[in-house]
Amino acid sequence: MQAVREGDLGGLAVLFERHHRSLFNYFLHVNGNRDLSEDLVQDVFFRILKYKKTFQPDRSFTAWMYQIARNAHVDSISKRKHEVELGEREFASTNMMDENLKRKQEVALLKRAMARLPLEKRELLVLSRYQNLKYEEIAGILGCDIGAVKVRVYRAVRALGQIYFELAGERAS
Amino acid sequence: MNCEHARTQFVDYWRGALEDSGEFRSHLATCERCRAEAEELRDLWGTLGAIPEEDPSLAMRTRFYDSLREWRRQESHRRQPLWWMRHPAFQAAAAVLILAAGIGTGFALRGRDTSEVSQLRGEVANMRQMVALSLMQQQSATDRLRGVNFAYHAEQSDPQVLSALLTAMNHDPSVNVRLAAVDALRNFNDSPVGRRGVVQALTKQDSPLVQIAILDQIVELHEKSAISNIQFLLSSQTLNPDVRQRAQWALKQLQ
Repeated sequence: MQAVREGDLGGLAVLFERHHRSLFNYFLHVNGNRDLSEDLVQDVFFRILKYKKTFQPDRSFTAWMYQIARNAHVDSISKRKHEVELGEREFASTNMMDENLKRKQEVALLKRAMARLPLEKRELLVLSRYQNLKYEEIAGILGCDIGAVKVRVYRAVRALGQIYFELAGERAS
Repeated sequence: MNCEHARTQFVDYWRGALEDSGEFRSHLATCERCRAEAEELRDLWGTLGAIPEEDPSLAMRTRFYDSLREWRRQESHRRQPLWWMRHPAFQAAAAVLILAAGIGTGFALRGRDTSEVSQLRGEVANMRQMVALSLMQQQSATDRLRGVNFAYHAEQSDPQVLSALLTAMNHDPSVNVRLAAVDALRNFNDSPVGRRGVVQALTKQDSPLVQIAILDQIVELHEKSAISNIQFLLSSQTLNPDVRQRAQWALKQLQ
């Protein structure tokens, strides 16, 4: 990032190669739309370029990048005027050929449960579980303290659990 | 520790990141409700991590590099103009001059490939070189490997890329990066510096895989100047048997 701050565009390509896949998956979990997610990834990298001077080297780059990603997501919602409800259909497209059937069903069910979770909880789980960010980084992104992040992540897992077990019950009955 | 506090520790517990787990564990041992919830949600947390990541389309990468190129073009435009260059009189005069020069050059270079396409091709090649060089300077071996791959697809034989590839082949700590660099140097077969670099690297390498890759390339190039280097390699008592066999074969091919 230091190189990008100093005007080296090759540095941005390095950041892109390193982070575009996780960013894409972050957006995909948040909005469930592949095309929109790809556009937003692109948007994030050009915001990085635009706001490179505001990056503080003593901060985590990943946390800063996700903060930009959140803003890009919020802006995309206001552009579309209303938040698009996540279609559960969109969450059942992953290729899971090599997983056993039970695991496959669990994952499919969990994706449905994730899609029903409110956005702020879903986002917390994506950042903490998929992106493996530390509590300090998430606190930096959300603008709250670490204690609050711990409580919110726990609540998000519990809320997911409630939906998941409800869906599992529906399926069993 | 009360239940509320214990529950905020669940995620750290599942991640194996709980610093002082004694108090937490003793709470779980005595509180059945927390224990049951921790168990139940732990499986869910595990499954959550098993959801595979999806790949974006290849078009996304193309779009990104197209936009980056466009950004760079606009940046260079923004930096160039001085105030007098924006003046309409200057611009009109410049337009006439450029038109005249264009017509003149057009006549002079008739038959040559001066189309916009070749200019764009040049820009793409420049971008690839820039990305390759930046990636090859990174700490992570994966990034350096990506850099070498970018260099492999570079269309022009840029001396900076050549030098970066030779450095990667000779000094990179990762065998994979060194191997990829040997492969990418095929693009520079027409360059005497590139060919000499590959020949000289033969005796400097300690990895049998890289040595074999270099020997294959030498044979492919039919580089007779490498004979003495191969003989020197064979004189080593501690040479890997597979490399020895390959070197003897290479020597036969060249003689």
